Amino acid sequence: MKRRTGSILLASAMLTGVLAGCSSNNSGNNGGNAASGSPSASASGSSSPSASQTSGQSGSGEKVTIQFWHSTSGKTGEALDAMVQRFNSSHPDVQVVSTFQGSYDDASTKLQQAIAGNNAPDVSMVERAYVQQFAESDVLADMTPYMDKSGMSKDDFVQGLMGHSVFNDKLVSLPLNRSTPIFYINKKMLDEKGLQVPQTWDDLKKVANALVVKENGKVSTYGLTMPYDTWYPLAMITQAGSTFFSDDGKTVPFVDDGTGNKVFSYLRDLQDSGALYYPPSQDSGSIVNQMFTSGKVGMVFQSTGIMSTLQTDFDYVTAFLPADKQHAEPTGGGNIVMLDSSKHKDAAWEFVQWVETDPQGAQQFILDTGYLPFTKKMAESQEVQDLWAKDPNRKTAYDQLQYAVDTNKSVAWPLVMKEFFSAIEAIMYDHKDVDATLKTFKKSAEDILSSN
Amino acid sequence: MRFELRSIGTTVQYLLKIVFILLFIFPLLWMISTSLQTLHETQAFPPTLVPSVPQWRNFASVMDNGSFLMYARNSVVVTFSVIALQFLVMIPAAYAFAKYKFAGKNILFGIVLLAFMIPGQITFIPVYLMLGDWGLINTLLPQILPFMSNAFGIFLLRQYFMQLPEDLIEAARLDGANEFKIIWRIMAPMAAPALATIALFSFVAHWNDYFWPLVMTNSDSVRPLTIWISTLRSEEGIANWNIIMAANVVLVVPILVVYAFCSKQILNAFVYSGIK
Repeated sequence: MKRRTGSILLASAMLTGVLAGCSSNNSGNNGGNAASGSPSASASGSSSPSASQTSGQSGSGEKVTIQFWHSTSGKTGEALDAMVQRFNSSHPDVQVVSTFQGSYDDASTKLQQAIAGNNAPDVSMVERAYVQQFAESDVLADMTPYMDKSGMSKDDFVQGLMGHSVFNDKLVSLPLNRSTPIFYINKKMLDEKGLQVPQTWDDLKKVANALVVKENGKVSTYGLTMPYDTWYPLAMITQAGSTFFSDDGKTVPFVDDGTGNKVFSYLRDLQDSGALYYPPSQDSGSIVNQMFTSGKVGMVFQSTGIMSTLQTDFDYVTAFLPADKQHAEPTGGGNIVMLDSSKHKDAAWEFVQWVETDPQGAQQFILDTGYLPFTKKMAESQEVQDLWAKDPNRKTAYDQLQYAVDTNKSVAWPLVMKEFFSAIEAIMYDHKDVDATLKTFKKSAEDILSSN
Repeated sequence: MRFELRSIGTTVQYLLKIVFILLFIFPLLWMISTSLQTLHETQAFPPTLVPSVPQWRNFASVMDNGSFLMYARNSVVVTFSVIALQFLVMIPAAYAFAKYKFAGKNILFGIVLLAFMIPGQITFIPVYLMLGDWGLINTLLPQILPFMSNAFGIFLLRQYFMQLPEDLIEAARLDGANEFKIIWRIMAPMAAPALATIALFSFVAHWNDYFWPLVMTNSDSVRPLTIWISTLRSEEGIANWNIIMAANVVLVVPILVVYAFCSKQILNAFVYSGIK
């Protein structure tokens, strides 16, 4: 409920942002932009100089500072900061200041608010599903001319990851830390019971149920789990042959064609038999990871992003998500965008280009984390090939990209997503009737879609 | 018979108290325990209650982080500036509302109460835009200025002042004290319990605040400890709960220290001000 209020506020902030954006060229004394506009790196009149911001500026007076906002924290955040450090040490004339702005949701809010306040950063990471929303408000820079100048092409990129990059013929974002859900399997557990890695939903049901161990009537080992996220139901809807949004973006066809019922009934059957552990919404990612690493569950649908941090004392394998009528998997994670309000687009592009193409840029970051190589050159690079040879699990996710789908591409996705979460909660937590819940969801989704 | 009933009553009372104490203290103990565990212990199931070897170096690795001092300094500066400014504004305001008669007093006090009831989530966007226009984003001021007046504090202090006898002020006036002196030398010291309460509440609220500094700041150099702790968590992947909890212990310790100093005063304040 709180979140919804938030998003309405944000929507209005967004609107203000667009209006404010029109006049931003005239106003001179705004905060962040003015700071990055002047050669001095420390922000306007700030009483607190930060070491990282001031250290580089003493030499040449012409150094340009680029503000880069992101949503990576913990180990991933360290890897990203290391990448920015590599850029800064190899580019004496550009200083990139990277700042964590909260989770993808929080950072998206922050960005809307900062655009309205005329102190947006030059470059930002934006969760790919939020890109449309920003693009529609016309606050993202079109990177096409820069790309042409640099001799790059959209064809350099892996197609499955470009679904959110072009909006109204403008190139508004490029992939950065992209991930997909894949299937992690505790091989030891399956081997002990003589089970094969499931390829289809039917297999999955059998294997998940076969893995269940009950002690005194209570499940002590589960077959399957997945984080509380829209990702996995979205994947399954497409696997079952439907799509989340219709082509015209006005409705959600998976409800009426019965696919929604099929997906959620399938999950609920697994849950009822003890085969599926559906985690609580808070920290669900951490919870399922820990259940997997401690052997409390045999199989998990999870992001590729966790791979480098997943430490198990057993051998695990990765596989494509099981197919129903077809293989399908959504993608997720962050894209990189340039803000139209930036006064240093050339320098900003220098950074973006370096990130996208330099082996020391995102390629190294991807090696350090677990995200997907997003250009063909990256995938073919010696470093990535070596990694795949050493750890074939890392290759699975890349191979799976041939089945990447973007069925939740809509300007209104952030709003519809909240409704979809409510439906998931009603079905998986409160055991509400599947059909009735989905009907309610369809109605609210259509209301949102028709007003956009 | 009567004696037995009473002793049963006492026993139940104590049992309930113990249950509630455990309920409230458990998360704290859990946090401290986790902060001293190894990463492996934090992930074990069943959960580790007491770490086998306390990992004091978790704290070292928290404090060793180059930016820790910067965030800690920001937290300290913001919290203490807020409290100091609130005292400057609040004590004279409460005195005026309690002891003066002037036109529109009730309406003005009503406005103060109204401010008390409006949550920050409603005002943050306009405030942010305004402070952005003034070029103050990326300074510590957006975390300080909006909290200069504390409506709850004015309210509590007014109730407190109203109970202090008028004779006291009259006597001071006869002795030639001006209003300034009366406020700072007589009223404020007598309201020490109330001031301690307000200071503690303010301290906890601003020291722990996450939402306001997150929306009001764009760069790390002006951010407090709370935001820094959130950067220790991973969206995806395994979170180092032992390190995160060690950071949280570091965050909580000042609150416990302040509380230890203020706790006696607080009860008094609520008793005297008529709020029970």
